Amino acid sequence: MIHPPIDIQVVLAVTIGGLVILIAAILWFMPRLTRPDLYFAVTVPPEFRDGAEGKSILQRYRTELVVASVLALALFVGGVVWFGIGFVSVGHLIELVAGFIVFYRARQLTFRYAVQPTTIREAELHQHDRVIPGGWMVASGPFILLAGCAAYLWIHGVETPVRLINGQPVEFRGHSLPVYLLAVSGALVSLTLMLYGLTRWVRPIHASGPERQRELKFRRTISAILLASEYFVTLQASWIILTRRDYGLIRVVIFPLTFVFVIAVFVALARLGQGGSRLSAADPKPATASASPVGDRTPDAYWKLGVFYFNPDDSAILVEKRFGLGYSLNFARPTAWIIVGLLFMAPLVPIVAHLTHFLPKLGV
Amino acid sequence: MLRVDLASRVPVYEQIANGLRAELVSGKFKPGEKLPTVRTLAINLGVHHNTVAEAYRQLANEGWLELKRHHGAIVRDRDQPTAGPDTMGKFTRPLRELIAKGLADGLSPSALAREMIETARRLEAKTPL
Repeated sequence: MIHPPIDIQVVLAVTIGGLVILIAAILWFMPRLTRPDLYFAVTVPPEFRDGAEGKSILQRYRTELVVASVLALALFVGGVVWFGIGFVSVGHLIELVAGFIVFYRARQLTFRYAVQPTTIREAELHQHDRVIPGGWMVASGPFILLAGCAAYLWIHGVETPVRLINGQPVEFRGHSLPVYLLAVSGALVSLTLMLYGLTRWVRPIHASGPERQRELKFRRTISAILLASEYFVTLQASWIILTRRDYGLIRVVIFPLTFVFVIAVFVALARLGQGGSRLSAADPKPATASASPVGDRTPDAYWKLGVFYFNPDDSAILVEKRFGLGYSLNFARPTAWIIVGLLFMAPLVPIVAHLTHFLPKLGV
Repeated sequence: MLRVDLASRVPVYEQIANGLRAELVSGKFKPGEKLPTVRTLAINLGVHHNTVAEAYRQLANEGWLELKRHHGAIVRDRDQPTAGPDTMGKFTRPLRELIAKGLADGLSPSALAREMIETARRLEAKTPL
């Protein structure tokens, strides 16, 4: 058995604390990473954010964000010191609530300068986009790997694995590894569902031209991130299952590695901007340019609190986030609620399996 | 490329049908080819799928498409219908109304004439409109 050189709880606290700071940094830059004609989830003229009013709103937002983040970090550190390691997840919650309030205040200020987005909609009839790098063959890799691990467990059984709790080795119960396998499978299915959604449920904002290519590049980058996450989770799981060793050491490595992965993802997406919009600055306006801002071709009225899209007249299930990098669900579509249900159910399956002792004990 | 204006007085399903018909007339889709599914086109245009379904039904009634459940819309090898005595009238009236609207919106007669000559040239050359 390998003993981790550092206390896992310290690693966990430092990593989560680092994530609190990282999220504050992401929120700091976010208003400049969205499409130029969307400012705090409100449609505005593209030049607005570089004007005096736009800069003034941004300055106020950032000042409030710094105050909110410092308070959240202080509460997080105080909570961990006084109430213990169980407080770590509350740190994020505090920051998210504070961040949302700051965003919402900036949004209300921006509404004074809102304009109507274009009512023109375009669709390319002949185009078939290749969104997933390497196609579904590459996407099926993690499932094959995990199936191999499951077969290995089935054939060989499991030696009792050991993990460290408070530095002391504690034996796993016999069905822990199959439960773990089930949990990883649930995570994989969730990620694959998102990957499928990217290929089928996303509406291109521009049907042709260079802007279309940039959007495709953005979608492909998100696909690559999802694929990388799948492989990251599966390789970690395979290592644990095949070596049947101490969980402690791998967590010491995994938490900081996850932190680095999150930073890398943010940097990659920030360079592109929402929908690849940051790549378009040097290009002339497309032939389809109209007097009204294009934005994300969704009306402001359907964005509840600037975050939740609810438009029953729109068949799209995934739409671009207005304040963020990536995609959000159209909550007016029943499919969106099925997806939410599946994403929530995925982690519940192994918990239920564990509690009901549904899975067989192996090799113990 | 298909383009619709949600603010137009022309119903969206009609704009979709008109746009698709233009593509079909120009020969961009060959008989047997599949059009995007109702759901895909609705997602791409940001409209309800019933709106696209209505446009597809209209084109199917005109003989352009064959609609198959779970297989989407397939372009049919449509027989050229024979023009009736009032067919030209049905065409010229809305054309003149459209020209009048263009003039009322500020387009110059020469610009409109140029556009019509260009369209006529493409029509004679049998190139896409």
